[in-house]
Amino acid sequence: MTLQEFQNMCSELEQEYTAKISAAADLAAVEELRVASLGRKGALTELLKNLKDFSIEDKKTAGPLGNALKAALTQALETKTADLAAKAMNEELNRVNLDLTLPARPVPCGRRHPLSIAQKRMTDILSKLGFTWAEGPWVEDEKHNFDMLNIPKHHPARDAQDTFFAETGSPLSLVLRTHTSNVQSRFMEKHQPPIRIMAPGRVFRNDSLDATHSPVFHQIEGLYVDKNVSMADLKRDLTAFMKGLLGDKTEIRFRPSFFPFTEPSAEVDVKCVFCGGKGCNICKGTGWIEMLGSGVVNPQVLKNCGIDPEVYSGYAFGMGVERLAMMMMNINDIRTFYENDLRILNQF
Amino acid sequence: MKILYSWLKDFIDLDLTPEELAQKFTELGIEVASVEKKGADFEGVHVAQITHIEDHPNSDHLHLVDLDLGEGKTQRVVCGAPNVAVGQKVPLARVGARLGKMVLTPAKIRGVASEGMICSSDELGLTNTRARGILVLDENIPLGTDVRSLYGKADALFDLEITSNRPDLLSHLGVARELSALLNLPVKMPAVQNIAGEGESLKVDVRDGAACPRYSGRLIRGVKNAESPELIKERLAAMGLNPKNALVDITNYVMFELGQPMHAFDRKEIEGDTIVVRRAEKDEKFTLLDERELTLDENALMIGDETKATALAGIMGGKNSGIQENTTDIFIESAYFDAPLTNKTSKKYGVSSDSSQRFERGADIGMTVFALQRATDLFLQACGGTASQICDVYPNAYANPVVRFTPAQINGILGTAIEEEKLKDIFSRLALNFDASSAEWTFQAPTHRRDLNHRWDLAEEAARFAGFDCIPTGASRAFVSFNDNPKGVDLLEIFSDKLAGLGFFECKNIDFLGEKELHSFGFEVKNAVKIKNAMAKGWDYLRPTLLPALLKNVEFNERRGNHDLALFENTRTFTLTKGFPTETYTIAGVLCGQLTAQPFFQGKEAKPDFFFLKGVMQNVLGEFENVNFVPSEKAPVYMHPKICMDIVANGKKIGVFGAVHPLTLKESGIKSAEVWAFEFGIKQLEKSFSAQSFKPAQAAAQFPPSLRDLSVILDKAVSYAQIKDVLQKVQLPVNLSFNLIDLYEGEHVPQGKKSVTFTLAFSAPDRTLKDQETDQAFQALLEALRHSLGAELR
Repeated sequence: MTLQEFQNMCSELEQEYTAKISAAADLAAVEELRVASLGRKGALTELLKNLKDFSIEDKKTAGPLGNALKAALTQALETKTADLAAKAMNEELNRVNLDLTLPARPVPCGRRHPLSIAQKRMTDILSKLGFTWAEGPWVEDEKHNFDMLNIPKHHPARDAQDTFFAETGSPLSLVLRTHTSNVQSRFMEKHQPPIRIMAPGRVFRNDSLDATHSPVFHQIEGLYVDKNVSMADLKRDLTAFMKGLLGDKTEIRFRPSFFPFTEPSAEVDVKCVFCGGKGCNICKGTGWIEMLGSGVVNPQVLKNCGIDPEVYSGYAFGMGVERLAMMMMNINDIRTFYENDLRILNQF
Repeated sequence: MKILYSWLKDFIDLDLTPEELAQKFTELGIEVASVEKKGADFEGVHVAQITHIEDHPNSDHLHLVDLDLGEGKTQRVVCGAPNVAVGQKVPLARVGARLGKMVLTPAKIRGVASEGMICSSDELGLTNTRARGILVLDENIPLGTDVRSLYGKADALFDLEITSNRPDLLSHLGVARELSALLNLPVKMPAVQNIAGEGESLKVDVRDGAACPRYSGRLIRGVKNAESPELIKERLAAMGLNPKNALVDITNYVMFELGQPMHAFDRKEIEGDTIVVRRAEKDEKFTLLDERELTLDENALMIGDETKATALAGIMGGKNSGIQENTTDIFIESAYFDAPLTNKTSKKYGVSSDSSQRFERGADIGMTVFALQRATDLFLQACGGTASQICDVYPNAYANPVVRFTPAQINGILGTAIEEEKLKDIFSRLALNFDASSAEWTFQAPTHRRDLNHRWDLAEEAARFAGFDCIPTGASRAFVSFNDNPKGVDLLEIFSDKLAGLGFFECKNIDFLGEKELHSFGFEVKNAVKIKNAMAKGWDYLRPTLLPALLKNVEFNERRGNHDLALFENTRTFTLTKGFPTETYTIAGVLCGQLTAQPFFQGKEAKPDFFFLKGVMQNVLGEFENVNFVPSEKAPVYMHPKICMDIVANGKKIGVFGAVHPLTLKESGIKSAEVWAFEFGIKQLEKSFSAQSFKPAQAAAQFPPSLRDLSVILDKAVSYAQIKDVLQKVQLPVNLSFNLIDLYEGEHVPQGKKSVTFTLAFSAPDRTLKDQETDQAFQALLEALRHSLGAELR
């Protein structure tokens, strides 16, 4: 066999087997081709046996040519085998016929109460704004719930709060706290400014239970006392708080109001988040929604707590958790929160 | 406080629509609860009848409507109302008619000329409902009738919510003064004749000057009681009062007008010629105008003569001296009574009136004589008679404190930059005396503004009258400080999040319960915080336990078809310790029904049992090394006597978990036969909790353990806890962990015995154990079990 013949044969074999391998229909056909080409008596094996008869010079050309062909066919066989295996697996996977739209298996998972979720959102934002969590008793003496907060005995402001009175062995007259503001007097009598606290929790009013009133509800209080704290600081922090709660486009406005423990006092409205201020059912056509009460801490309250109002000033605000939750979660009846109907609880 | 717009205009010239005025009130911080529009504010609107309707050629919802105006005149207009129909009588406004501030001009609507419009109730200003549709009038009204004649004169009634610091706004004059300061318009006081009077008034003997700092009054003799003039009757009716007779009505009228409560006594019921103002005697009896009988204490302030009381001062007159139809001589009282005293008395006896509501907030001590003169004029006009001189006991003239401040302080409180000129303007409108001639300004409020006592009050006024929008959003300030949350708060959050992860739903319940529940849950009434003025029976105590409410939640949900429940609550519970209230953060839960209820899968029922609950408790409390679960020696009455464990922390019992007693379930109306429950207080756990401490990690084993099964036969009475205790106490040179894999009683095991099988895992941190080491350890454990518990290898 001449070198030329050898080269021609290689070229023929390559063409023949590349085409056959590529056309092989299954793994058995691939195996047949492997035996036929690279097997002990395969076509290529037989052809390579001629190498030993070539001159040293010709071997230098024919050897690498033969080896290259062997490698190419081996590679082609492996690739084809892998392709066919993948195809077979794919076919098998595609034979699966599972109705994925069947209901989910109930993995036990509970939920926090909507009021807890709302309160957590509020305390998280206030934490970011630097407020520390503070607490006070829920069964509170009248001094801390009223007197120190500038709500004197025999004043209509005190009557307005529909107070529950507790019967205990204490010599003090105790009430169920009517607001979270008792934490203000509790905290300020023990700490000097700077003070920056939040006080979430339950409060109690002797109100009948109906769609908009509950004898138990939740408030969150904020208090900041330092040098030169003004209404403008209040507006800055409440703007940030409301943006955190309702979104970056939220706008707030102050309306004059009256609370015995703040002077000046402001009712805070946010631009209706449902209609963007155009007027809708939720904002009763006004474009604004009343959110909370606030103001500059009345200097008398600071004095009552042992803080000098000529040196320090502060602001305070108080907000209802139910009110926010009802608005944001589209709940129309406050009693919904206290019925604990699983069909409601599992939505949040 | 109800304010009638037309009445308000007696005191100030306003050119605002009711809506605009309501907006001003809001800006001033006076909340408007409602605005009720009355009467007609339009001209040139007449009754017409619809005779023909056809579709508008260029619109699918507009119509061309022909109307009969009477006297042979007709008119065609374009109308888009959905309710228009032939035969209706409707209000038609033609070109030139006025609707509020709008005058109608010719219009072309989609190519068709329209020289008039059929009006809706809102368009006529009669309502503010935003309802679409024309106003349909009664079919019996003659064509051409001026629609205005069907309604009264235009007016509006505002219902204002006056905060308790602003009693001066409880009158039309007061509201006018407020608007005057805002709009810079003059206040028009009613013209009074200032009659000096003839003859002496009754003398007034004020025996408690602190309770009654001013008392003015006069007699009017020879009056003829009559019906009030129409205007007074109308206005009182708008205030919500039934007009009675002129003598009574005028006192009320002046109160709503000027804010000064007044009282008229029938002179003939007053013995002698002295009015006595005094405190009541202990147990003094007094019958009010409304026939209620009071037994008073020494605090109540009384008006009367030398022998008896005729009025509970500032609150209500007595039955014995009221004005009658035939009253001829009256004594009119116009006084100032102490605010807290009036509040205290009014509250104590449960008597409240328009008068007491003004006195308890603080009336205007400077107004008594002017109001008396005003009332005198009205009395003389309506009832004739002759007024006496005025008696005015006012020993110490009241003046508000002088407030000293700088404009910088005002702006400092507000964070504003209101110009000095603006501040001067505002304060001068509000002040009795105002001086800004030196660096420090002085301000003194008139007597009707007792609420302006220091510069913070004045800052509020500055902001109100400059507009609250003048307050800017302050510049950023840094707040650098850190404090932990209260430990209880953090712990409740951790436990609650874990429970929610384990499938429990958080509940919130009202904090009250009744005596019956206290008993059922083993609490003594004397250790619970009682509410003096409970709002309902069964809500008399603050709850010392959360479980009764959670069981109610189970019952509630069962009735609504949910039987698979895992609920918890976290909040404070209340008990009395030596008479003093103790508040404890507590967490409790209940569990019943199936764990995974989805019938479609028809899998094995997964019902929770005691050991599931124990697993929940281990997940929740497992991290606390000082917490143990111990079988309850004496389970609480509401728990199963044998299926209940105590939760013990630092050697103190902090709660229990287990099965709820079937009787408790029955009492709660629960259908589920098994309810699992837990409750514990967290005070003890706070001691070993810190937000900063993390549990140190144990390195995971690098070398595989050698496993051996150990099967022993033991007395039935030996508990798992005893076995565990023995295994844990054996001193071994290698590490041991063990797992209970089988528990067996019956065949192949002798009577009274049980077989217990563990898989034991022996290991060392630095090597794989040799068989010999494992064998020795195994033998040591077996020996310990033999020795301590009489175990035999099976």
